[in-house]
Amino acid sequence: MNDTNGTKGQGAGMKRGHVLDLKLPIGWLLAAYGALLTAYGLLTEKEMYAISLGINVNLIWGLLMLAVGAGFLAAAFLKKKKSAG
Amino acid sequence: MAPVIALNPVDYAIIAGYILVMVLVGYSLKKHMKTGEDFFLSGRSLPQWITGLAFLSANLGALEIIGMVANSAKYGIATVHFYWVGAIPAMVFLGVFMMPFYYGSRVRTVPEYLKLRYNEATRGLNAVSFALMTVLMSGISLYAMALLFKLMLGWPLTQSILVAAAVVLLYVFWGGLSSSIYNEVIQFFLIWLGLLPIVFLGLRQVGGFAGFGARIQETLLHSFKYLGTSGNPLGVDWFGVVMGLGFVLSFGYWTTDFLVVQRALASKNLNAARMTPIVAAFPKMLVPIIVVIPGLVALLVLPEFAPGAAPTAEYNSALILLMKHYLPNGLLGLAVTALLASFMSGMAGNVTAFNTIWTYDIYGTYIRKGRPDAHYLKVGKYTTVAGIAASVGTAYIVRSFPNLMDYMQLIFSFFNAPLFATFLLGMFWRGATAWGGFWGLLAGILTAAGHYILYKAGVLNYHSDMAANFYQAIWAWSADFVVTIGVSLFTAKRDPKELVGLVFGLAPKPKAEARWYARPAVWGTLALIAAAVLNVIFW
Repeated sequence: MNDTNGTKGQGAGMKRGHVLDLKLPIGWLLAAYGALLTAYGLLTEKEMYAISLGINVNLIWGLLMLAVGAGFLAAAFLKKKKSAG
Repeated sequence: MAPVIALNPVDYAIIAGYILVMVLVGYSLKKHMKTGEDFFLSGRSLPQWITGLAFLSANLGALEIIGMVANSAKYGIATVHFYWVGAIPAMVFLGVFMMPFYYGSRVRTVPEYLKLRYNEATRGLNAVSFALMTVLMSGISLYAMALLFKLMLGWPLTQSILVAAAVVLLYVFWGGLSSSIYNEVIQFFLIWLGLLPIVFLGLRQVGGFAGFGARIQETLLHSFKYLGTSGNPLGVDWFGVVMGLGFVLSFGYWTTDFLVVQRALASKNLNAARMTPIVAAFPKMLVPIIVVIPGLVALLVLPEFAPGAAPTAEYNSALILLMKHYLPNGLLGLAVTALLASFMSGMAGNVTAFNTIWTYDIYGTYIRKGRPDAHYLKVGKYTTVAGIAASVGTAYIVRSFPNLMDYMQLIFSFFNAPLFATFLLGMFWRGATAWGGFWGLLAGILTAAGHYILYKAGVLNYHSDMAANFYQAIWAWSADFVVTIGVSLFTAKRDPKELVGLVFGLAPKPKAEARWYARPAVWGTLALIAAAVLNVIFW
């Protein structure tokens, strides 16, 4: 969301910004889950996926979560770079 | 009874990862909690995407999700009324019309607004009842969580209660509202990522929406088509749905419940505060994907709910049975973590709302007035400990009286529905007087209680409990509305100068409006159009 278009002059709270970039913990958590599920999906046998209609859902969903997590981390990184530069 | 689901070490690693991250987030916030506003209102500094997702998640508790999947298996597509009729319009109204008075008047709590607009008595009535409710609700959700995890995984009740309480205590004590909000945002992503695999696998197995159309009875597949009379599965006619759910209950909950309003008050400026519920409205519209579709899938794939016979399992177990049906270890742990996260964030939300109301509206008003800010910060922190201890106590009370849960939900509904009339008149009619507000609110609460007694005694009859609930809200709201106006005509008016910034038409001139594409009214209109289109598609 765009942070600069708000009504101006609403007091001191505005300048401080929030204290923690929440994209970092979300990114790390989802990426770690993604990596774990991907690895687990690669290591497990096909029989385990009979209940999920024969699809290795751990592998597919793991890769997807890895991508989502990486997206959050990249967004946090870009923002940090921008505000530092 | 044997547990329904068996977890393996990978699943446990996923659960442990979540708890670790939550505790670390809480700990990293510790050094930033310097003033009361930091602790209770996140220093009014959060961007709108965070407050918006937290606003939504505060309401997306595990009980809500499990209950809505059950509703969908029972009532079918009509469950969408809880979203597209029963939430979106109220959220847009809060953002566009009411938030300028909440945020603009710089109040810290909902009862504080009532004090400024009406009088001390109205605030006291609301603050005490709300504080009591939150602590009880937090205990109820704690017990519900422990019970679910016992049935689902075989975890012992006491250990579940104590571990969950300890984790919530740690991170709320350190990070206050910020911790609570951050947990809610993380929970938002976990719920979607945890439950979507069930949706995809379910749709694949039953052959997509065409599969529903071919194999599910027609009355379960429409939202409005069969609402002409109350003979539909819901047992409610269109008037009950639109007025009871869509107007009174939904506006009462979304616009006056401090648990959700507090998230918007943590925003960094007025525009972000107004955008908070509107940002939340878009994902809220999509929540039926993860609750209504699984409910319908359950009807087709689970033998427990096979058509033509009475169900052999409770509808409330539908989601858990689907998890067992479709998810292998790994994703199973993720889905369990999503439920755990939503229980914990529900509890944290109640605890933070409780400590704010207690510290500002009860302790800081009636017990120790006018102390320095640091004193109240300390009180807030220790109130967190007391609130969580009280929740654990409540969990054990609920355990010995299982019906207490139903009663609490009910009492909760006594307070929300009439309160909306008090707010509506307070914000939009400058003639509402201080005592008009108090007596109106009291009359609304008593009407709801009276309606409930008459319904239980069999004097009033409805097609379903849900219909009774919707009509009770309509009566309570009307009583509050009429009595507030009636008493206001005969009691002393407030000086309009005191009401500047609190009532529509007396607000100070707004400062420069945001550019058109950042304006709440623009996005709010878009949300309403989108909800209307969805209603027509699933008519």
